[in-house]
Amino acid sequence: MFAYYLRLGVSNLRRNPALTALMLLTLGVGVAASMATLTVLHVMSGDPIPHKSERLFSVVLDNGPDGERGPSQQQNLVPYRDVRELKDGAFGLRQTGLYGIAPAIDSGRDDLPPFFAAGSAVHRDFFAMFETPFAAGGAWTDEADRDGARVVVIERRVAERVFGSAAAAVGEDLVLGETPFQVTGVLDGWSPLPRFYRLSGQDPFGDSDDVFIPIAAAVDMQMDPSGSINCSAGGALEPGFDGLLRSECSWLNYWIETATVAEADALRDHLRAHVEEQRRSGRFPYQGEVVSARNVMQWLDFLQVVGSDVRLQTWLAFGFLLVCLVNIIGLLLAKFTARSSEIGVRRALGAPRIELFKQYLIEAGVVGFAGGALGLLLTVSALWLMASQSPNLEKVARMDGTMLGATLALSIGAALLAGLLPTWRASQVRPAAQLKSQ
Amino acid sequence: MEIRPILSALLRSRTGAILIAAQVALTLAIVSNALFVVNDRLALSARPSGVDESVVFHIDLSPTRDIDDVAAMQRLDVDTLRAVPGVVDAAWSNQVPMGMSGWGLGLSHKEEDESLVLAAAWASPDSLVNTLGLTLVEGRDFLPSEYHEFDMRRGAMHAESIIVTRRTATQLFPDETSVVGRSVFMRTPAGFLPVSIVGVVERLKSPFAQASDNAWSGYILPIRFLGQGTTYLVRVDRPDAMPAVQRDAEAALLGLRRDRVLANNRTLSQVRDVRYAPQRSVAGMLIAVTIGLLLITGSGVVGMASLWVAQRRKQIGTRRALGATRAAILRYFLTENALITSAGIVLGLILGIVLNNVLVGQIEMPRLPLTYLAGSAAVLWLLGLVAVLGPAWRAAAVPPAVATRAA
Repeated sequence: MFAYYLRLGVSNLRRNPALTALMLLTLGVGVAASMATLTVLHVMSGDPIPHKSERLFSVVLDNGPDGERGPSQQQNLVPYRDVRELKDGAFGLRQTGLYGIAPAIDSGRDDLPPFFAAGSAVHRDFFAMFETPFAAGGAWTDEADRDGARVVVIERRVAERVFGSAAAAVGEDLVLGETPFQVTGVLDGWSPLPRFYRLSGQDPFGDSDDVFIPIAAAVDMQMDPSGSINCSAGGALEPGFDGLLRSECSWLNYWIETATVAEADALRDHLRAHVEEQRRSGRFPYQGEVVSARNVMQWLDFLQVVGSDVRLQTWLAFGFLLVCLVNIIGLLLAKFTARSSEIGVRRALGAPRIELFKQYLIEAGVVGFAGGALGLLLTVSALWLMASQSPNLEKVARMDGTMLGATLALSIGAALLAGLLPTWRASQVRPAAQLKSQ
Repeated sequence: MEIRPILSALLRSRTGAILIAAQVALTLAIVSNALFVVNDRLALSARPSGVDESVVFHIDLSPTRDIDDVAAMQRLDVDTLRAVPGVVDAAWSNQVPMGMSGWGLGLSHKEEDESLVLAAAWASPDSLVNTLGLTLVEGRDFLPSEYHEFDMRRGAMHAESIIVTRRTATQLFPDETSVVGRSVFMRTPAGFLPVSIVGVVERLKSPFAQASDNAWSGYILPIRFLGQGTTYLVRVDRPDAMPAVQRDAEAALLGLRRDRVLANNRTLSQVRDVRYAPQRSVAGMLIAVTIGLLLITGSGVVGMASLWVAQRRKQIGTRRALGATRAAILRYFLTENALITSAGIVLGLILGIVLNNVLVGQIEMPRLPLTYLAGSAAVLWLLGLVAVLGPAWRAAAVPPAVATRAA
């Protein structure tokens, strides 16, 4: 019976084409508006490293005089001196300091003028912690980390641009500024969304880093941080890069990976012990809680990576879908009422109400499916439009399998919901009244 | 006069009327909030910068290796830019209005006072007033003798004079009309630096271009900052010469030396477009939602009214046969629709306020002014009227003879 009702439903789409078109368009537009905004929200608020995001902690040490700073100032969190001490303390499985650099890459080739790269200065653990995929080679050694060796891990696109291929790059020298760095590994297009590991001064949904070098090398070469430097904690700032290293200015991230989720409290205790140690030399004047360690999702939430405008759009888009639904209820009501006499005949011939209910609900489902197909098309065009309108939406305005399925499910669900009332009304038609008026 | 029979007819077949009223209510709630946000975002993106944006561009160069003779390079660059035909003036600058990255340093009118006015700190060895076309409302531009050099790697920042924006003058001295000659203290990393206000400019939008009025907080320091990165602001004599001058300026600067690459060459209008792209995209999306909603609600009214007319052909014919005029039939449907729409609007006003409360809780959004509710209600009421005109007209055209036919 289901297959027969399905066929009936499809053929009934062709009856009263204007009404059907209006219905499909309404449903399609409503579904597309909701799904386009939901897709953006889904990608933006996704977990960039799901299997271990609860074991990766970003550290904030508040060294200012009066307690917790606001989110806008907390993107760079740890002064260099604490990064060095904490790294020596080596709590947890792995740990890395991190700051943004923007070196010029000089290939020495005449056909390729020097160009600027975005990069991060990191510790060796960075690659294992964040599970960066390598196309060739690998991370540098512990010795390189300690000695500040001139070694570099580069992204595949840089390797292809400068050396022709990923494999050809390993072992070669890449000139950053004026200093040759030996390539130890090539990443295979690593681009977490959002780029959670370093959010300072960057679009969280923008391009990923091109190069990674040891922090010790970057500091040794006095590479200025490309993100912001927050000196609101006060204290002396002597001139020059050495002054910055000794200062209370915060300009690095510090990430710790623990072996288990439960170790978070032990981690905080470890950080508090570090602060107590530092207080002996007069640092950390604020006596309240100055330590925080947030896991990846708490971190993204804390920095408000998903803007409120995105949530606003999603709310309003679903309001829009609701209006579309009310409209479709009306249109289905009109469509089914026009067939009262047909229903009357079927009832008179012995069809029970439940059969009519099934038939008309299936017909509503068919409308939902067709509307969903249209909605899918419109969603894809809406996403394309959003990406072309605003460069910071380019990476997030993309559809995956989940959202594709969700679009169809939403559409069919919405149509079935909208169909309930008209279907119930249709199955309540009294055969006598209809037959009499013929 | 006709309202009672219309009402009792409505109460007999409620479903359709309720659907239309609900649709009107939801649409009103969403549209009033959406338009409010649209206006907020568009107003934000249109706020003046104080700069003559149609004739100013900025050109940024990044060094590929350390440059030793920074001061000489800056001087030669600015002289080269000024020599480009069509250039009125050029200035080295530490930041660009609405450029999204820059300096903020606190100012205070008392020494060692930690309650600082945070403002954008502009530094230039050239005249930003002249290059950006800023309006001096009080005092004067810097004199040549007032400029200092500052190298972050070697010494501390020094200056005696400062030009503030009107916004910052008000922040520092809320009760005074004239601030020229007053001393203020700038909090630098090396300590508090006393400086004397020599001029006030009407407006200069900060690089951060905040949503609050602090977007216009700022002050200019007569300081040549010896940093590696270079940003030049250039003013051109007329808007249509911009592309040519930009091209010539770029070629002239890159021709001077080989150890730097071009990072940016954008007009300030382009800078504004980049800064406000998210706001404009939200506004565009909400306008699309609003238009879509109005279309769908309109089509809903048309569809439902057509259905009613079709269902009541016989009754209409009977009324006509009993002497009702076409105008009376038309009036009937218009009144019926007005009743439904009005009920929806009353509900929509409440829903609109509820939705606004939800949004205020969820995102930072101000309270909805009643004018938006009233305006949107008027639009929806008119929309309902226009949408029902067609079906009502067809109803009025039903001939009385229909009453005499069988079905």
